[in-house]
Amino acid sequence: MRSAIPLIRVQRRLEVPRRVSAAVSAFFILLSFAAAALIFELMGVSSVATFGVIASVFTNPNLLLQAILRGLPIGLAALGLSIAFRMNFWNIGAEGQLYMGMFAATGVVLLHEYQGLIAEPLVIVFMVLASFVAGGLYCALSAALKAKMGVNEVLTTLMLNYIAILFVDFLVYGPWRDPKGFNFPLSIQFPDYARLGFVLGSPSYEGLAMLLVVAFLVYGLMRHTTLGFEMRVVGESPEVAKHAGISYAKALIIGGFISGGLAGIAGFSVVSGIIGRLRPRASPGYGYTAIIVAFLALLNPWLIIPASIFFGGLIVAGDLIQASLKLPFAAVQIFQSIIFLFIIAGEFMKRYRIIVSWR
Amino acid sequence: MVRQGKRMRGGDSPEILVEMRGITKRFPNVLANDHVDFTLMRGEVHALLGENGAGKTTLMNILYGLYRLDEGEIWIKGRRVNIRSPRDAIKNGIGMVHQQFRLIPTHTVAENVILGLKEAGFYLNYRDINEKLSEIISFYGWNISPSARVWQLSVGEKQQVELLKALYRKADILILDEPTSVLTSQETTQLFATLRKMAGEGLGIILISHKLDEVMQVSDRVTVMRRGRVVATKPTRETNPNELANLMVGRPLITSFERLNKTSEKPILRVENLRVLDDKGLPAVRGVSFTVKGGEILGIAGVAGNGQQELAETIAGIRKAVAGKIILDGVDVTNKGSLFMIRQGVAYIPAESSKCVAYQMSVAENLVMKSFRYEPFSKSIVMDWDSIKQHAERLIDAFSIVTPSPSTRAGNLSGGNIQRLILARELTGLPGSSAPKLIIATYPTRDLDVAATEFVRRTLIQNRDQGAAILLVSEDLEEIMMLSDRIAVMYRGEIVGILEQQEFDVEVIGMMMTGARRGEAA
Repeated sequence: MRSAIPLIRVQRRLEVPRRVSAAVSAFFILLSFAAAALIFELMGVSSVATFGVIASVFTNPNLLLQAILRGLPIGLAALGLSIAFRMNFWNIGAEGQLYMGMFAATGVVLLHEYQGLIAEPLVIVFMVLASFVAGGLYCALSAALKAKMGVNEVLTTLMLNYIAILFVDFLVYGPWRDPKGFNFPLSIQFPDYARLGFVLGSPSYEGLAMLLVVAFLVYGLMRHTTLGFEMRVVGESPEVAKHAGISYAKALIIGGFISGGLAGIAGFSVVSGIIGRLRPRASPGYGYTAIIVAFLALLNPWLIIPASIFFGGLIVAGDLIQASLKLPFAAVQIFQSIIFLFIIAGEFMKRYRIIVSWR
Repeated sequence: MVRQGKRMRGGDSPEILVEMRGITKRFPNVLANDHVDFTLMRGEVHALLGENGAGKTTLMNILYGLYRLDEGEIWIKGRRVNIRSPRDAIKNGIGMVHQQFRLIPTHTVAENVILGLKEAGFYLNYRDINEKLSEIISFYGWNISPSARVWQLSVGEKQQVELLKALYRKADILILDEPTSVLTSQETTQLFATLRKMAGEGLGIILISHKLDEVMQVSDRVTVMRRGRVVATKPTRETNPNELANLMVGRPLITSFERLNKTSEKPILRVENLRVLDDKGLPAVRGVSFTVKGGEILGIAGVAGNGQQELAETIAGIRKAVAGKIILDGVDVTNKGSLFMIRQGVAYIPAESSKCVAYQMSVAENLVMKSFRYEPFSKSIVMDWDSIKQHAERLIDAFSIVTPSPSTRAGNLSGGNIQRLILARELTGLPGSSAPKLIIATYPTRDLDVAATEFVRRTLIQNRDQGAAILLVSEDLEEIMMLSDRIAVMYRGEIVGILEQQEFDVEVIGMMMTGARRGEAA
């Protein structure tokens, strides 16, 4: 007999083919749009109009360039995270490493402005290098603590985020405040030679090129070098690494350095590409969004590029919705959170199958 | 009609509990079961014997509803059934004890037993449940309490909880998948007594195993499988281990080995007064000294946990010595680390494959895990995947590793093939050098089927004949006496004596393993 109540069972999927994984992700992103539409309607805004605005971000060339620019720090940080996560090093500190990168990049600009040590075209090169080293060392600190003393990296990387954010606050409220800035907590405006877009004319073009180059390097590092091989073995198990004569500490610290370094470059891209100066809370959480992007892209460097541009586009769309539809900023945050939530729910659905049977 | 839960005892002609007819199951590239027929009678212990990958576990997973059959019929107690899930199997009175226990460590025994049991209802009457459980426990003479937490139990006791789960659900068909692989010999004896008692109670028991002695010891009938097919079903009384081994492998086995070359007089490994701590920082190896010459196998006998593991790890450079010396080929190599030892030509086969195999990485990647630093597998820092793949194909061929391709994940291989993979990697010298100088093999045949065991032993002997020094750690006295040229017996971190080949004697070694000095034991 058919009863009125269906029997619902949850069954683990044995293997998850890539195609299923991609389809589930796509389905849940669409589902999140539906949920978001419902909320927009409840707020008295036409959901069609809202989605029109969101779609325009990816169809309008100018807005798409904006999306690429906002996706740039997310993508760079996510590329770094993909390395750490492959090593089973749960780096939650991309945000902090990104702030250290902003600090270092700004430091180079200020040093050049006030001391004039290097040729102008070289400044941007030094900014990249300095931000890489700053972010890298910041992350390597957590890696070293884990490798040498067994300290849980989730705690250290997460807590170091707050220190980095407050350290940047201290600089812009204190010693690095623009003397002609009417007492606002801002650094000086970066001169043109310190801005992304200096060469190709648009920070988006240069940003996209940068993303492609870094994705290529990360892919090559992990797949085609002995160091990448060592890092993947370390991610598998420290014991296996030891058996194979691979130094767990060395691989973890170097890998952590590169991971944090890329987040540092992401910080460079924020101050040099997007804002053009250092200010408090310069990142609205690019480093955290990068965690989701890295997982959504299955830690694949090439997939990280479209995923980060998509999330960059959502940030742009949020600004537009706020301006054109007079929705409060909270509505935009709700929209982004819904997408995150559904993606996480989708991750569950990738591993489990829900079977509904009537009996 | 047979009513559930009611057991027939004695008297009547034996009733057929399970009849599987023409069962066929295909996996990608593999025919796991090829028209298999299998019957289980009430009151019998029926052994299902076969090598790893012969299709025993697949067949039983079909019976338990974990896999769906592609062809064939299953009849249970005279009724054709369609088993689509373990729930259906449980309803039909089938219980299964898996190799890996499915218990929640922080829950009590009783909670684990009723977990997932709809009949328990919403409100749990623990007094009733505990009473019923205690009844079963005391009937079988076990020593567990229903309110004990599972993490507090020994491995053997955890297995009893699994049995308890099946008994509480009134299962009368019980499947045990290699139940003794995790047990000590004492626990095994106790398990077998329980199984006989259960059979006496009218249960039908299917024992999946690849160990001949166990099958001979406990079963009433035995069905031998090879490559997905049943090759014979016989009453155990009418067969013998040799016949079973031949049926299982399809050819006679080599049981003794000829020595080809003489032991050289040059000591390859010299260990002097070595002291090592275990993971908890307590002394594990306490002043051990010995030498191993080229072309010689030194067996280290002893009950597991007497410092053999730590000794092996220290010589392999994985663990640090706190005192003493390790001298390899005349050079002091104490505490030089595992990479240094690998470069010196030291091969190490750990007791657990999880300590040396990256399950998520491919077979090819695992095969170069020690040699990837050398040309042709990498040039400066760039990996050469083409030559790594060729290398893998060569080793897969030479060591008969059964794998769909070199890029298959190592974790997808069967236990025997993972062991072959480890041997292939460890016993193939680094590029540019020949074979390893020193081989440390700890429990190299544990949990392997007969053919794989024979393969491992033959390979070790080959390496010895080529002049390698071999340190063989094993609990299996038969194995250690068959392969070793000399045997050192370890007890509580010390070597209580070293025996020459003409002095080998099971009794003496057995006594020494419990701490008797050489003179006292003889």
